[in-house]
Amino acid sequence: MNELPEESPSEAPSEVSPSVQESANSLGVTRMEAAFGSGDGDENAFAAVSQGQVEVGTIFNRVYRPWRGKLGPRWVRNYAIYRHHVYGMITSKGHRYYHPFIRLAVLFILISSMSTLGFLILGSLIGEPEIMRPFGLNRNNIYAKILGFFPRNALWWPLLTALVIGGMISEDRAHGTSAIYFSRPINRLDYAVMKYLSVASILGGVILLTYVSYYSLAIVVEGHGWAYLFDSFPLFISGLGISILLIITYTSIGMALSAVSKGKFFPAVGFLSIILGTKLVAFLIDSLFERSIVYILSPYDNLAYLGQIVMGINPGYDHPIAFSAVSLLAMNVISLYVISVRVNSLEVTRE
Amino acid sequence: MTSLNSDWLIEAKSLTKNYGPHVALDNVDIQLPHGSIGLLGPNGAGKSTLIKTLLGLIQITSGEGKVLGHDVRTEGDAIRSKIGYMAEYDTLNPDLNAVDQVRYSGELLGMSTAVANQRTHEVMEYVGLRDQRYRKIGTFSTGMQQSAKLACAIIHDPELLIVDEPSNGLDQEHRGFMLDTLFNIVRDGGRSILMSSHLMDDVQIVCDRVIMIHKGRVVVHRRIEDLARQIDREIEISVWGGASKMEQELKDAGLTVRRLGRIMRVLREDESTVDTILGCAAKASVQIRQMEEYEPSLEDLFLLIMDKLGYGTRSASELLNSNPNSRIIGDGSIGGTSI
Repeated sequence: MNELPEESPSEAPSEVSPSVQESANSLGVTRMEAAFGSGDGDENAFAAVSQGQVEVGTIFNRVYRPWRGKLGPRWVRNYAIYRHHVYGMITSKGHRYYHPFIRLAVLFILISSMSTLGFLILGSLIGEPEIMRPFGLNRNNIYAKILGFFPRNALWWPLLTALVIGGMISEDRAHGTSAIYFSRPINRLDYAVMKYLSVASILGGVILLTYVSYYSLAIVVEGHGWAYLFDSFPLFISGLGISILLIITYTSIGMALSAVSKGKFFPAVGFLSIILGTKLVAFLIDSLFERSIVYILSPYDNLAYLGQIVMGINPGYDHPIAFSAVSLLAMNVISLYVISVRVNSLEVTRE
Repeated sequence: MTSLNSDWLIEAKSLTKNYGPHVALDNVDIQLPHGSIGLLGPNGAGKSTLIKTLLGLIQITSGEGKVLGHDVRTEGDAIRSKIGYMAEYDTLNPDLNAVDQVRYSGELLGMSTAVANQRTHEVMEYVGLRDQRYRKIGTFSTGMQQSAKLACAIIHDPELLIVDEPSNGLDQEHRGFMLDTLFNIVRDGGRSILMSSHLMDDVQIVCDRVIMIHKGRVVVHRRIEDLARQIDREIEISVWGGASKMEQELKDAGLTVRRLGRIMRVLREDESTVDTILGCAAKASVQIRQMEEYEPSLEDLFLLIMDKLGYGTRSASELLNSNPNSRIIGDGSIGGTSI
């Protein structure tokens, strides 16, 4: 009973071809069944009248408000990305969300790395040379402020980088928030550069602040004059240059790891593994076979070697410095290449 | 030197995009006026590629195209400044408050923080999230997330809003609200919408015009009501008591009838068809409880067109034995493009 009877071809004039009309005869069957059931229509007719649906009132009127403002130029958009990520470290309210633990950890690292300042003040107050020797202003201590292995490069700087880079790009891939960026007048270069600068700024905020504070305070508390300042200033600049190189290298490697993943955990753990793992492997090989060449695989050791040469400290490595310089360059180039490839693959629409 | 006129909302001439040997968009020629346009097509037809092209995100292989008067090849930034895009999938950061996410999306367009903030509150009220704006997006239901995505897309009052499956995953209530909101943006805001959806009912509610894409080509581009006119009109009646007798009376009167239980569809031949039906009902002594002119839905039209394109509704042997000319839709006038 529910099947439609055979149809005779329509004789009505129509604008469309016969092939369209044939198909039109089968249209809407599902809707007929769904709407009215499948009774045969020959049964006794009766009707059940239900109560009419009560109209629900509207409590407010939605009004579409046009906006005729002017949008800012490219730098305004880029600064918005930068601000979003950097300010988030200070206050997540309204900016990128960093877990409170991450923000506390970064604060702890900042305070810890500046603990030297306390010893410096203490040493100068009581005039104890044993305190001033490891904390006073000299070539080795300036080097150690940035490139000393423990605790700075064994703990603070890698941990700081790992905490900051986790999710920086990977979360845009995981949450699809890349569409928010690229469906707006933001190109991929701006996106990658601003994210990179954001991470570098946070690292720089801790590392450079520590370094500059130490140097400035040491000059003051040790009572050095202008002559000492002028003499030691090239050393300070060398240290600053190496600090910036460290920030660039750690940011590049960290961002590359963030670009290839979809979460926070892998980039963070991956970064710690690369920095500390390569150092450990190179150290073991050097200890067993007295071959320091494997240190070129370690980003930290390449930086340390370069820093020792630049700052005039006796190098702790046997292989040529050029190897470490080239290795460092290659690490940065490869990392930037990975970032560019992965950022280019971020989708706006999903296929 | 472009040969396109900048008065159209979207205009393309011989627009082609290849991914290696795969032709994603094949000589697309369209001129879309301002208004609400539905973008239809089966999976893999080229809808996403067309959207990315219109956003100026990918380099086209050949041809030319303009959106709001801007060249898709060279003025992607200008296009994206004037367009709001609401993606199909999740594009929101679950860790952010909704108000922060929407404001940030405005700042990414170049709005100052103060302006973006003010505008955020306006659009969040408009999309129905006024009371939930300080909640984390991660706690939002699907409907609220869709509304938040819409708020991000309209924060700068775009001239063209591109929405991809806006009612995806929504229940009936939220779906109605979303479609109502989109419709009002066109009606009250005077904005244009390009809406990609697999739900024909959604497109029919919001849009007055459709383009259908098949294998990278635009096969249909018309107003929905014009499309509907291409198909025979029927009158649908609901008969109580004596449906078989009524059916016989209608046939005796020379009308073409198809019946499903107490529901009958009568081919509307001319203005007198209604009177004839009423006369038959009187003769058969049955009640006509409902009578309405049945207009084919957009879904009917889509299925019909896809059927004509050989899309899964015919067997392989039928397709192999069919005349290639039978793949032309009607007289080729439905889309203005025969395939």
